[in-house]
Amino acid sequence: MGLGALALALTVTASACGTTDTGGSASEDGACEGKIGVMGALSGANSSIVLPSVDGAKLALKQWSEENTDCDIELVEFDTEGDPAKATPVATKMATDDTFLGVIGGAFSGETRATKSIYGDAGLTMISQSATATDLTQEDQSPVFHRVVGYDDVQGAAIAKYLSDVVGAKKVFVIDNSDAYGEPLAAKVSEELGDLVTASDKTQVAQTDFSPTVSKVNSSKPDAIFYGGYIAEAAPLLKQLRDAGIDVPFVGGDGLYGADFGKAAGAAGEGAIITCPCVPIEDGTFAEDFEAETGAAPGAYAAEGFDAMTIFLDAIADGARTREDIEAFVDDYDEQGLTKQLAFDENGDIAVENVVIWAYKVVDGQLVPDQEISLS
Amino acid sequence: MDFNALIDGLGGHTLDGLTRGSIYALVALGYTMVYGVLRLINFAHSEVFMVGTWTVLGVYTVLGADSESAMPMVIFATLTALVAAALASASVALAVERIAYRPLRKKNAPPLIFLITAIGCSLVLVEIFGHVLKVFFGAPFGRAPVNVPSPIQTHTLLTIGDVRITNVQVFIILGAVLMMVALDLFVNRSRLGRGVRAVAQDPDTAALMGVNQDRVIMLVFILGGAMAGVAGLLFTINFDITKFDIGFIIGIKAFTAAVLGGIGNLRGALVGGLLLGIVEVYASAVFSSNWADVTAFIVLVLVLMFRPTGLLGESLGKARA
Repeated sequence: MGLGALALALTVTASACGTTDTGGSASEDGACEGKIGVMGALSGANSSIVLPSVDGAKLALKQWSEENTDCDIELVEFDTEGDPAKATPVATKMATDDTFLGVIGGAFSGETRATKSIYGDAGLTMISQSATATDLTQEDQSPVFHRVVGYDDVQGAAIAKYLSDVVGAKKVFVIDNSDAYGEPLAAKVSEELGDLVTASDKTQVAQTDFSPTVSKVNSSKPDAIFYGGYIAEAAPLLKQLRDAGIDVPFVGGDGLYGADFGKAAGAAGEGAIITCPCVPIEDGTFAEDFEAETGAAPGAYAAEGFDAMTIFLDAIADGARTREDIEAFVDDYDEQGLTKQLAFDENGDIAVENVVIWAYKVVDGQLVPDQEISLS
Repeated sequence: MDFNALIDGLGGHTLDGLTRGSIYALVALGYTMVYGVLRLINFAHSEVFMVGTWTVLGVYTVLGADSESAMPMVIFATLTALVAAALASASVALAVERIAYRPLRKKNAPPLIFLITAIGCSLVLVEIFGHVLKVFFGAPFGRAPVNVPSPIQTHTLLTIGDVRITNVQVFIILGAVLMMVALDLFVNRSRLGRGVRAVAQDPDTAALMGVNQDRVIMLVFILGGAMAGVAGLLFTINFDITKFDIGFIIGIKAFTAAVLGGIGNLRGALVGGLLLGIVEVYASAVFSSNWADVTAFIVLVLVLMFRPTGLLGESLGKARA
């Protein structure tokens, strides 16, 4: 009862502040100042999927601030370790602090699902750089949630297309990790592939011994394998498949898109294909600027982080000073970003025709852009 | 459900199960010996195993052993890793006993205090590898999975019918069984082993008969730790990977294996480990891999319903242990 009352009190506070802040402190004098929050797994096993996007957002802010010296916009980082339970207090904190005008994130779908009603009650606009679960926009819409990436159903269809058209596979073995990300993604891939799926297996998070899966793959003799899941399990799975002499193409979703995949998989990882709704940026100065700023090439979702921050900065430059202004501006936004044409439909999604899915290949342990997967 | 898949590949699945179970069994020895002597579930034992896997990574890195290494180097690196991992794991197990458990024993702390201390030690060790060492030394420490080089390359030794037997499987099963036979002989035949059995049976009488109880307890932690270190080597040879929390699942499974076989019973750990491994692999074959745990724990519950002391009973102290 105590916890329930506390949660209720927090929600009430959050929504109260949300409504009062439309005339809040950041806006009254019309001064160009405020905070943008970014929340995600800044530490932990999956942080290599998130940190580059935060650097991308920082770069956008730095470049913008050099041109808009009269403004004082701050990017505040919140580490959730990707854990919904840790994301909820972070969301409450930002929602109740009037100085926050927008949120970049959540980086993962689970934490986004757990927090979007908190932000929704406070009227605080979210732009996610990498939360791709389909239900976030397709089933349970939120007025404040937007994302600059395509969702998993689109990615699943692209993966199926890649497997059938590019790999030319006739028999695909589909494996997933039984969790909220891997299972629906693999289900979508299977649905699109139809008869091309020869067999499948469901594994577990934190599993290391995949010998039963390897036996199943061995007996069904596929000409390609798809895995929906994350790095920690994909690395030993791939190693055991290769050790068993199974050398057919291995394709994984964006859960494997992080610099740690090559490190964890070692030699077995070579040639693996990883798809991602994130775009490699080779034109312009973004890659150079990013490298000069962070000392590393743009990693996972770096350009998406840059795009998300740019939308907020454009809103502020346009004179938006309240959460309401920002939300209205973002809803009507329609500009060419680094990664794609950035405009949101009523669910907060990028139009499917503007979504770009890329296939990356592991070469010498690094993720190298291989080709764009045509969605049409 | 696909019973044909199980029956068609029965030989291969059994071999996979034995490989998986061998590692469970080796780790289970540590739980079972400590329980036999102290009636304590040493939850920090899973991290003793984890330290073993990291030691193997360290030895390979220092020696520069990898998949390209020549045969003499492979043998040298593997033996060095074996000794180093056993020593490192034994040292950690001993350190946990000296730092955490002994002071509690001197004060006659209730069993619950030991239990929570064990869980605390486990978390401390996990965070040392996941956080503290990263702060001081950076990668490869931290929370990301790390690739361990593999001087021993997997290749097929022989094929019987459809069953492919690899060098790694033979190495793991033989290695684990040899270690367990050696430990069994040590406990049952040697003078020090008699001391262990005496303390397990009746600590007070053993003390009256001149057995140094503290020394026996140290010995038990060292032996259990060394076995976990060897398990760490066998695990990395098979999977080429380690992680700060790699011990968690293995630890739970090994503890389960110990209970299944009869905790406190050395041969029970072997039987429980192998049985658990085989049940998991069979369940994965019949259903899908995410049914392994459910089925394994149903088997555990069923066994305990009819034999509450496990398959072979709790008996480190008894002569037949």
